[in-house]
Amino acid sequence: MRRLAAIAAGDIAGYSRLMGLDEEGTLARLKRIQRELIEPTIAEHHGRMIKTTGDGFLAIFDSPVEAVRCAIVIQQSMVGRNTALPRQHWIVYRIGVNLGDVIVEPTDVYGDGVNIAVRLEGIAAPGEVYISGGVYEQIKNKLVCGYQSLGDRQVKNITDPVRVYRVLPDPAAIVSVRHRREVALIIVLSAALLAIAIGALWYFVKQQGIRTALKTPAAVQTPKVASPPAPVETSPTARPAPVVAPQSSARPVTEPEMTAIPGGSFAMGSNDDASEKPTHQVSVKAFAVSKFPITVREWNECVAAKQCADLASGTPDMPVTNVSWADAKQFVTWLAQATHKNYRLPSEAEWEYAARGGTQTKFWWGDQFRSGMASCKNCSDGSTGAQLVKVGSFEPNRFGLYDMGGTVDQWVEDCWHKNYQGAPTDGSEWLDGDCTSHVIRSGSWMNDASYVRPANRDHYDTGVRYPTHGFRVALSP
Amino acid sequence: MEIARLAVLSVSLALLPVAAHAQGTPSPKDALLYIIWPHDGQTIRGAFWCRFGLRNMGVTHAGDAYANSGHHHLLVDVSEPLDPKQPIAQDKSHLHFGAGQTETHIELPPGKHTLQLVLGDAKHYPFDPPVVSKKITVRIK
Repeated sequence: MRRLAAIAAGDIAGYSRLMGLDEEGTLARLKRIQRELIEPTIAEHHGRMIKTTGDGFLAIFDSPVEAVRCAIVIQQSMVGRNTALPRQHWIVYRIGVNLGDVIVEPTDVYGDGVNIAVRLEGIAAPGEVYISGGVYEQIKNKLVCGYQSLGDRQVKNITDPVRVYRVLPDPAAIVSVRHRREVALIIVLSAALLAIAIGALWYFVKQQGIRTALKTPAAVQTPKVASPPAPVETSPTARPAPVVAPQSSARPVTEPEMTAIPGGSFAMGSNDDASEKPTHQVSVKAFAVSKFPITVREWNECVAAKQCADLASGTPDMPVTNVSWADAKQFVTWLAQATHKNYRLPSEAEWEYAARGGTQTKFWWGDQFRSGMASCKNCSDGSTGAQLVKVGSFEPNRFGLYDMGGTVDQWVEDCWHKNYQGAPTDGSEWLDGDCTSHVIRSGSWMNDASYVRPANRDHYDTGVRYPTHGFRVALSP
Repeated sequence: MEIARLAVLSVSLALLPVAAHAQGTPSPKDALLYIIWPHDGQTIRGAFWCRFGLRNMGVTHAGDAYANSGHHHLLVDVSEPLDPKQPIAQDKSHLHFGAGQTETHIELPPGKHTLQLVLGDAKHYPFDPPVVSKKITVRIK
C-alpha cells in the first residue's frame, strides 16, 4: 500500500567500535535501550516500529510532529543514560526524519521516502536529529524547537538535492510529553549535567588561561545555556551539551584569513571558450572570501573535529588537494557550525568577480600571459613547473587575493551548466540543472596558461576526488 | 649458488615494476577497452553520445580500489603520450567519468577529432600495463 508517512531512521554512531570494546555488554545495553526506550517512545508518539536492524531502527508515523518529538525524546533520554558511563561506552544515536511517499508492507517499508530518512540519519552528527525540508515545513509552527538550516544536500541515489535542517531541541517541546515521574528524574540528572557543564567550563577556562576565552562560541555557550535557575526548563537544552561539547571545545578553530570584497557589477564570461558564453552583466553584493585556498593546516582542524575525511597530504602551508565537492561542503558546514558564522563556498559569479579584481582583461594583470605570475604547466621560464607549491607563492591580484588562477582548482557552489544561457545575474549560485557535476575554477599546476584566465571554467563529478582539486571559502556579511 | 642467484634475480624482477611506477595497479592480460560508438572514420552531425566498452574488467567509482576494475577517461584530440607515472590529466580534453559512467553526450566543433579511452585506477593512474582503447577519428559536420 502506497501512502504519505513520516519515517524516522536511527542508528548508533560508532557501533562497530563499541562492539569491539565490549561485544556482550554493548549488545545487552542495546537490547535494553530498544526495549525500554526506543519501542515505548515510538508507541507513545503514535508511531509503529517497522524493524530494528543490528544497531538501528526504522519507524513510521502518521504525523511528522510526533515523529520529530519522538526522535528528540530518544536523543534526550540517551544523554541521560550515558552520563553515568565513561565516555568510550556512550551509545549515541543519529536520527533522520523524512516525510514522503512510501510503500508500506506488514514487515517492511520501501521507497525514496525511506531512503532519504536513512541518508539523513547517515549525515546527522552523533546525538542529533536531522530532518528534511518537507518535515520542517510541516512542523516549524507546531513544534517549538530551534531549526538550523544546513542547506541543500545531494543525497546518494536521489536525483534532487534534499534540504536539510538540524533540530535544536527546546525545553517546552520535551517537557510537555514527559510523565511526572520522569520529571523528578530529569531534575536529578540535570543537576548532574549542570555540574558537568560547569566542570567543562572550568576545564576550558583553565586550558585557555587568560588568553581569549571568548574565541570559541560553541564552548562558551554551553555553560551559559545551562546557567538559568529552573532546572526542569533548562535540562533538555543542557543535556545534549556533553555529547557535542567535548569534541568541539577541545580546540578553538582558527578561521581562514578572509578578505572583504566590495560589491559591484562586472561582465562575466568571455568569448574564448564556448562554455564562457554569453558574456553577461552580473551584480555581486559585498562578501568576503579567503585570501588563500584552504590549506592542509586548516583542513586538518576539521579532521581533528572528526567532521572531515583525513586525506590531506603535504606541509601545512600547501593547499589541501584531492577533495571532492562533497568534501569541501563538509568543511564549510563544519566551519560554519564551529564559528557560528555563515561560511560557505563562493558562487561561481563571486569567484570570477573576485578573481578579476576589478579588471575585464584576459588575465587579471592584462591581456598577455606573463611568466611567473601563476603556478601552471609550462608557465615559468626555465622550469618544468609542474608541481604543487604552497599558497601565496605568487603575486596577489588587486583585491589582495592569492592563487585566483593556477595552483589548485577550486570548487564553487554552483552546479555545472555547459554555458551561461539562463544564468543568474545577481551573483547568486546557480543550482538547478545537472547537479551530479559541480563547477571548478582557477585551473591547477597541471593545466596550461589558458586555465589561469579568470573566465575559465570547468566541471567535475560532485562526489569524486582528484589530486588537483581544492577550494576556498566565502563568508556573507 | 645458482639457487641464490636465481632467487635474487626473481626478487629483483618482481620488485622492478613496483620500483618503476609505484602506482602501477595491475590489469588483466585480456582486458579490452574500446569505443562502442561512434565508429572509426564516422561522420556525425551535431552532438552525439559516445559509448564506452570494456571487457574482462569492471567499471567502478574513482576512489574504489576493487581488483580488476577502474573508471573511464575520454581523451579528445590528445596527442601527447600517456605518462603512466602521473594521474590521468584533468582538463577540457581529458574528460573524467569517476562516477562510473559508461557513456557521455559530447558536442565538438565541426572538423576532424580523435577520441580515445583510458581506464584509470582508484587514484586516476593508468593501469599496468595501461588499458587504452584504439584512438579513433570522427568528423563532425
